Amino acid sequence: MTPYPDRVLMVMAGALGALMAEVRTPFGAQTAGLSAALAGLLAQEWDRAAARLVEENTAVTGLLERARLIVTDEALHVRIDTVIARIPASDLRVSALRTENDELRGVLVDVHAAVDGVAGEQHELLNRLIWDELRESTRRRHLVTGR
Amino acid sequence: MESKLASYLAPRLEAEDGVAISNLFRIPGGASRETWMFDAAWRAGGEAKSAPFVLRMDPPASLVESEREVEYAFYRAFEGTNVPVPRMRWLELGLEPLGAPFFIMDRITVGETNVQNLASGPQYDGARAMIGRRMYEVLAAIHTAEWSGTDIPKVVKPPTPATCWREALDYWEGMIDANELSPQPIIRAAIRWLRANPPPPAQRVSVVHGDYRVGNFLYSNDGIHGVLDWEMAHLGDPIEDVAWAMHEIWHRDLIPRAECIAVYEEASGLKVAPEALRWWDVFTGVKAQGIWLTGARSFQEGRSSELILVAAAYSLVNRTDEAVLQSLGRGA
Repeated sequence: MTPYPDRVLMVMAGALGALMAEVRTPFGAQTAGLSAALAGLLAQEWDRAAARLVEENTAVTGLLERARLIVTDEALHVRIDTVIARIPASDLRVSALRTENDELRGVLVDVHAAVDGVAGEQHELLNRLIWDELRESTRRRHLVTGR
Repeated sequence: MESKLASYLAPRLEAEDGVAISNLFRIPGGASRETWMFDAAWRAGGEAKSAPFVLRMDPPASLVESEREVEYAFYRAFEGTNVPVPRMRWLELGLEPLGAPFFIMDRITVGETNVQNLASGPQYDGARAMIGRRMYEVLAAIHTAEWSGTDIPKVVKPPTPATCWREALDYWEGMIDANELSPQPIIRAAIRWLRANPPPPAQRVSVVHGDYRVGNFLYSNDGIHGVLDWEMAHLGDPIEDVAWAMHEIWHRDLIPRAECIAVYEEASGLKVAPEALRWWDVFTGVKAQGIWLTGARSFQEGRSSELILVAAAYSLVNRTDEAVLQSLGRGA
């Protein structure tokens, strides 16, 4: 067994932070400090990235499935169908999940534009659900930054 | 670098037997420019002379793509005014001397820019509120300055009071279009809101610093000694700067927000209408995101290896999204 990357990155963060005090130039100290901070952030991101992306891709897919029932724009309808048909993919690498996420959120932007501020019970409900998801998306991305 | 700088400065300082460069080091921060400080010593007219300087040089890529001569013109416009700025010395647009365009200015040797010290350092407990008020008095002086007789109109085209908001929004939406690495649904919703709810026309077309906040001016217990980092300066609606300075991400509560506005209104004679402030507050989130995303793309595509660009993306993109949700009344 090898130590897990999140543990390695956290130790690197501590080591780089300790190194700051020994660096003689302000720019060098800043570089060491930024490296330490980034190692700490990447440790958090490495551990949670797949779970976050799967959760979010599932949530956005649900919104798009709801949207396809009320969106009337033909081109947008085709885009929704196309992206939903490709998801979920079997590839669980973070890079693949991120590509799915980009495709889904790209379509979500246009769905949101199509329903935001439009009167009608279904549009208003979907709009509210999209705003809920956008709020939740920021919660999923929280990192402990030391501030 | 020392020898190239010495060669560049010798004829400009009329040095009789060369220029000695010392204490050359890069200043931390500066995600849009490489900023270096150094001291120069030389002999002229039979006398020994020395001076502290700052060099601002274009990096290969940055958080903000801006024009060197624009920043230089805005700095120069305020020399000798009640807005403290360092004196500009030489602008070099060619690649020959140092490998990238740059300018050199006198170094202000009083004060510091450290955000944390100003926000909470006990050495500033007695001066914090004074510096906070001074911050908005200086901003008022920037906004009420007459710019038509300066070099500024030679380097930027003035908007009209009615088009300030649209030109600013078009620019930053374009930056996001060009630089986002992934879709930005919150920022896109904010842009839709901004276009659907335009602010009142600008009360005047002013110099807008573009990044006026704690961290971008030199301060001490005696006040503010230099306004720095003019790389995003332009002509526009002054409320843009007020909203930027007060934005949640970097506002440090030196004085209460209501006092920020009161001090600014009294010093400038301009009104900070709530609807205008809200519009420019949402815009600040969009612009800030445009900055972080531009830096992130520069790093991702290998045009820069500056860690500050990654740190900004990892620590600020999501915080900015949250701030925008709050500004839109959609926050938690």
